[in-house]
Amino acid sequence: MEGITRFFEHTGFAAATPGHLLMILAGLLFIWLAIRFEYEPLLLVPIGFGILIGNIPLVGQAGVQMGVHEEGSVMQFLYMGILKGIFPPLIFLGIGAMTDFSPLISNPKLILLGAAAQLGIFLTYIGAITLGFGNLDAAAIGIIGGADGPTAIFLSSRLAPHLIGTITIAAFMYMALVPIIQPPVMRLLTTEKERKIRMKPPRSVSRREKVVFPIVGLLLTGFIAPGSLPLLGMLFLGNLLKESMVTARLADTARNALIDTVSIILGVTLGASAEATTFLTYQSLQIFILGAGAFIISTAGGILFAKIMNLFLPEGSKVNPLIGAAGVSAVPNSAKVAHREGIRSDPSNHLIMHAMAPNVAGVIGSALAAGIMLGYLL
Amino acid sequence: MTNIEQILPVDFSAITKEQMVFAVFGYMTVICSLFLLFMLFSVIPALRQRKQRKRFRTEGLPESAAAVVPGEVSAAIALAVSLYLEELHDQETSILTIKKAGKSYSPWNSKIYNVINFNQFKR
Repeated sequence: MEGITRFFEHTGFAAATPGHLLMILAGLLFIWLAIRFEYEPLLLVPIGFGILIGNIPLVGQAGVQMGVHEEGSVMQFLYMGILKGIFPPLIFLGIGAMTDFSPLISNPKLILLGAAAQLGIFLTYIGAITLGFGNLDAAAIGIIGGADGPTAIFLSSRLAPHLIGTITIAAFMYMALVPIIQPPVMRLLTTEKERKIRMKPPRSVSRREKVVFPIVGLLLTGFIAPGSLPLLGMLFLGNLLKESMVTARLADTARNALIDTVSIILGVTLGASAEATTFLTYQSLQIFILGAGAFIISTAGGILFAKIMNLFLPEGSKVNPLIGAAGVSAVPNSAKVAHREGIRSDPSNHLIMHAMAPNVAGVIGSALAAGIMLGYLL
Repeated sequence: MTNIEQILPVDFSAITKEQMVFAVFGYMTVICSLFLLFMLFSVIPALRQRKQRKRFRTEGLPESAAAVVPGEVSAAIALAVSLYLEELHDQETSILTIKKAGKSYSPWNSKIYNVINFNQFKR
């Protein structure tokens, strides 16, 4: 009997705390959201599963070299890709090789919506300071408003490594919840008439323009914010690999094998880093509240800027303000949400191609904001 | 019991002037950078069109031909080309090609190792 008791003491059941169970429920919620509603499944399934792994009690103490925070464990080696900021540039390379910038090149004024929607980053930075966070921590929390997971990882690994798990999970979670967070803000800030605005079909874009875009984009953003180069450099390189049409094999690897491999490792290790003992704190709760605020402000920033633009644009060239919400990166979820909201008001008004322009501009804008923060604060 | 002030202890006096300036300046820099990109890519098509018009003029073609092709027109042309090429493929399938379907040698599929050699049992 004593042997059975001793065996039980060495199992996870004996060491389980309510915190562990809560985190396991959170992991299951992520997996459920991904499978049931298909909210960012490529990220939420590995992250949710990682949370389950990281919250099996005794994982960190059983000497099985399993825990992310355990010195010399396999998971810790994989986690280095997040802590040292290795994975985000690789993901950006893949995103660049997937992204078609032609909607943006054909209607360049929509770039400005991607810039305006970064309002949440800087207001949340101020908000975090009022809650007592330090300057660097506040900047890392603010980047949640960029709605870009890799950018959040990259900036928090540099400015606030101790908050990286919470910030990144908040960013990914809100990115997945874009279809729930954004529509109420969109309906609140736009009128039925505005939601029905039809936009001109985009013109065709020449190959030369597509090749020039990543080069000009890199030089311009690189000179303005050199801190954004690891992200934007790789984004534009990936895009050049795609658009040059002479490096099809490299582009194919970047957008398929490479980004998939990195996503799996990143998701699992990130989830596993969210252990109950380090994750369930008041600070985490504050970060989640600030993150939600950042998303709402960024969405509102994009929509309101589109409305301001319409004051100066001639009839026939007006912008549907719904696509302003797509300026918050979260590619392509927020563009899909803008499209869906447009369809609700007018079933024949397809906004998806127009919404992709501020959406990809938002990726550039959030990486640029991260670069500015890195350059100024470090 | 935890109240809202405990979770969100807001203190506006914590914001310094420098932090406020950074937030405003940072946001303006993002807007200005992307505004520059917007300016550049607004100019490029206009320059391209001007160059094309000039070329058309020297070649004696109507200038209206240099107008930017709308996306819908491009999509229609692309669809037509795609349909045409798909039909071509159907015509091609009538050509028969006989490929050799031989397997390369391996000890694992060698017949000699799978047949009992009864010759050695003969007396």
